[in-house]
Amino acid sequence: MAMQFPDTFDVIVIGGGHAGTEAAAAAARMGASTLLLTMSVETIGAMSCNPAIGGIGKSHLVREIDALDGVMARATDRAGIQFRVLNGSKGPAVRATRAQADRVLYRQAVREALEHTPNLKIFQQSVVDLVIDADHVAGVITQMGLTFRAPAVVLTTGTFLGGRIHVGLEQQPGGRAGDPPSNALAERLRALPLRVDRLKTGTPPRIDGRSVDFSVMEVQPGDEPVPVMSLIGSAEEHPQQVPCHITHTNARTHEIIRAGLDRSPLYTGVIEGTGPRYCPSIEDKVVRFEGKQSHQVFVEPEGLTTPELYPNGISTSLPFDVQLALVRSIKGFEQAHITRPGYAIEYDFFDPRDLYHSLETRVIEGLFFAGQINGTTGYEEAAAQGLLAGINAARKVAGQPSWCPRRDEAYLGVLVDDLVSRGTNEPYRMFTSRAEFRLRLREDNADLRLTAIGHELGVVSDGRMGAFLTKARAIDDLRERLRTIRVAPGSATALSVEHALGERISKDTDAFTLLRRPALHIDALCRVLNLPLAALDVAQQVEIMSKYDGYIARQDEEIARIRRHEQLMLPVDLDYARIDGLSSELKQKLTHARPENLARAAHIPGITPAALSLLLVHARKHQASA
Amino acid sequence: MAAKRSASADEAGARGGGLEHDTIAAIATPPGRGGIGIVRVSGPAATTIAERITGTRPTPRHAALVEFRDADDGLIDRGIVLHFARPASFTGEDVIEFHGHGGPVVMDLLLAACLSFGARMARAGEFSERAFGNGKIDLVQAEAIADLIASTSQAGARSAMRSLAGEFSRHIEALAAAIVDLRLYVEAAIDFPEEEVDFLAEGEVGARLDAIAADLGRLRRTANQGALLTEGFELVIAGRPNAGKSSLLNRLARHERAIVTEVPGTTRDVLIERIELGGLPLVIVDTAGLRASPDRVEQEGVRRARAAVAGADHVLFLFDPQVSEDPLSAAKAEGLNMGRLTLVENKADLSGLRVGWVRDGPPPVVRISALTGAGIDALEQHLKRIAGYRDDEGGFSARRRHLAALAQVAEALTAARQAMDEGRSGELVAEDLRRAHDALGEIVGAVTSDALLGEIFGRFCIGK
Repeated sequence: MAMQFPDTFDVIVIGGGHAGTEAAAAAARMGASTLLLTMSVETIGAMSCNPAIGGIGKSHLVREIDALDGVMARATDRAGIQFRVLNGSKGPAVRATRAQADRVLYRQAVREALEHTPNLKIFQQSVVDLVIDADHVAGVITQMGLTFRAPAVVLTTGTFLGGRIHVGLEQQPGGRAGDPPSNALAERLRALPLRVDRLKTGTPPRIDGRSVDFSVMEVQPGDEPVPVMSLIGSAEEHPQQVPCHITHTNARTHEIIRAGLDRSPLYTGVIEGTGPRYCPSIEDKVVRFEGKQSHQVFVEPEGLTTPELYPNGISTSLPFDVQLALVRSIKGFEQAHITRPGYAIEYDFFDPRDLYHSLETRVIEGLFFAGQINGTTGYEEAAAQGLLAGINAARKVAGQPSWCPRRDEAYLGVLVDDLVSRGTNEPYRMFTSRAEFRLRLREDNADLRLTAIGHELGVVSDGRMGAFLTKARAIDDLRERLRTIRVAPGSATALSVEHALGERISKDTDAFTLLRRPALHIDALCRVLNLPLAALDVAQQVEIMSKYDGYIARQDEEIARIRRHEQLMLPVDLDYARIDGLSSELKQKLTHARPENLARAAHIPGITPAALSLLLVHARKHQASA
Repeated sequence: MAAKRSASADEAGARGGGLEHDTIAAIATPPGRGGIGIVRVSGPAATTIAERITGTRPTPRHAALVEFRDADDGLIDRGIVLHFARPASFTGEDVIEFHGHGGPVVMDLLLAACLSFGARMARAGEFSERAFGNGKIDLVQAEAIADLIASTSQAGARSAMRSLAGEFSRHIEALAAAIVDLRLYVEAAIDFPEEEVDFLAEGEVGARLDAIAADLGRLRRTANQGALLTEGFELVIAGRPNAGKSSLLNRLARHERAIVTEVPGTTRDVLIERIELGGLPLVIVDTAGLRASPDRVEQEGVRRARAAVAGADHVLFLFDPQVSEDPLSAAKAEGLNMGRLTLVENKADLSGLRVGWVRDGPPPVVRISALTGAGIDALEQHLKRIAGYRDDEGGFSARRRHLAALAQVAEALTAARQAMDEGRSGELVAEDLRRAHDALGEIVGAVTSDALLGEIFGRFCIGK
């Protein structure tokens, strides 16, 4: 049946996973008439892997999505059944929130958010082809021959492109256990002049909690007071809280695994895709770290209404008989019943170096890629990209220039810049050590970094902006107030601060600078100074600003230089091969990356100051002669 | 140094304008040439730096005779300070020139004083680059700048390679390895707190930090004494065995340094001689004769000779006209770079031909007798010409650049230790270690965060 759908859309999003839902919601919030196409409305917002949101580096992304009014953090607050703060004993920049989520509640929360978003329509149908006019995307064609037209299309197909599932030496096509892959679309996309490669990821076998002996495992309760994911959320939104458990593999488990390696698709060469270095399968861990006697297994509940468990730490693609034996060798799992076998999945991804920072492909105008299709792993990484692609798809249609946060503004900026400038050869996951400006990219200040920008872009509602402005003003007021309070040695103020602090004040200073001392906390300071106690988030923010002050100031110089370099655009048609004085390796890297400006060129591995000077001069020459 | 640097940053922030907001400095005259040496400073902090060094604020377009003093108020030299005010200066920024006595030590101290007062080392061609950025140079001149940067970055790479050879390089590599190893633990503890990894206890982080700082301190002391870094224009004498290379070295050095015999293959190793030619520091490397030899020791000598040739600023290929080999083909066969080559025809005392300049080249040809000294004058004139044209990116600058980078590493390590002592949280110590690592990256090449993560995943079993 060939039929053209009567309505034309501004933006079409293909895929209802974490990237797709944020992309569709963001484009619709921006005012674009948006269509979300999904293979199944029932799996919108599905968590295909472990039932958790957040973690170090990842929760930073979730807060940024939230600061831009996205869906993920609020859905987590409504679905989270165990919340913890990681790195609680370390400084605020590396503190992170992690939540176990009830799969069903999470899916419902996401779907509900989409169904309440104006400008957004959902349609259940698998996409088999793109409509391309010359070098511009014009729409999509679905399985039943329906054509939907739109000048911008966001592709968020996850692991479904050419997906192949491995259990032992058996394999079958699949996008996720139980769902078919998108092979027709994969074939069409492979025909585009984009570099494509294979990656691999895996999941552990799921276990029926009724067959598990929790009494022999370590209990891991959530934190008190219960953390909250969204900056405007509250713990009252959370459903009932439950604990996780921890158990360990042992020598026998490892024996069983070694004995099964001859039937492992990983170790017999059946799987060609590269897996992540940081999330190895249990067989990988046993082989690579032979000396390690035991590995942790986090036993995570899948939800409140199901006894199913997710044993995090034993992802495997060994044959089912080996899976069963290895699971049952683990303490507490002796009688375990496996509800779903673990598997590895190989899938197509497109080299993200073929994208602009807007996540638009360089070869087809109006076509955007977000999520695992770009070589990332993780719900949070996918959602963050989806949000960005949705924003930029809407801006494209509205004739506005694209937007991407800088590396010093957001983890989202680090994520996209790493992908687009350097590419990846393993599923890319966020870590705080990837962010050179880590100290300023904190969970606690995501709104200060992004909400005002988001409001200007049109992706943040007036309501959230209003609440944000109140908070931001309170922070400014308190900080300025402290700056104006002089603390002279020997003065009454100094004496009472010395008393509270147990340290001497030997230099004339102000109260804000004084707060830099590690031992001094803001509530103690405010009490001594007879200042009214500020709201918790405001007071915390001012204290963090003070504690990090010197470090941030030093980074400011570096950032100022980078920003100036960002203004220096490099012509797209600059012929790097003909620039004398660049090494042939750099010529090749620059030709591949085609950096948009000098700051991005500076980020290419191996670049030298002299090479940057050369680029600058040649860019100027190019401009002058054009 | 940190406090002084931030003072200049304020200055930079207040002034604005122009493309870059930091202040750069470099020795603007070739080392050793002539009686006067110039250190040039450009940028918003230039006048402040002049004031710190001379004690008075300079008046635009007036030459003043002043004393140059360092941060500890030590007298460096007496000379002239010139101020070219923006935007009429060559770069379009405030430019200060210190004209002092041209010896390398004075120039080095003067540049070091500028750096300590907030300037940073200029990159190759950076003054011109700023001039171009500020519209002071036209398109044709821009071509020339691009060429200059291209060629000087190659020269810089050569001299960096040379100063990184041997002992110094081994120390730097050990230092880099120790910092990577420490960062590995510090970063893993931040990104993977849930893993069962034996992270370093705080005390151990401190102990390792102290050990690294102590090693760095020793290295900086030795490097400052100049013991580890060669500087000067490096001239390599190469040629077939018995062409007279060692005789030429002795002639140039004017004393018996190399053992000269009539047995081919006498020089089995690489001899290095430092001489001054009209105030120009030259490093002369005499190499084993280039030939296939069954002798293991001589083979090693030949290997070292070829390495020396590869790192040289210029090569004198010496040949004996009585040997029936075409010298140009022989030089080409050895892979010598035609742009950095002079052919020297030796043994004019035997051939009886007229000594001196034979032709301009490329490559140029000079005829001499190393034995009698005839024609050496012409050769020396030629050497002064090529070495004198060298820009400020030679070994001299490479050495200063490395020392500046090591000073930054030291500053960051001190800050890390201080943060620990004050009980600041781990991510701040990690930030100082990152800065230390970045500064070291200026010498050994940057380490990406992804590479560091790779090390972490290789070392520890991480991931659920």
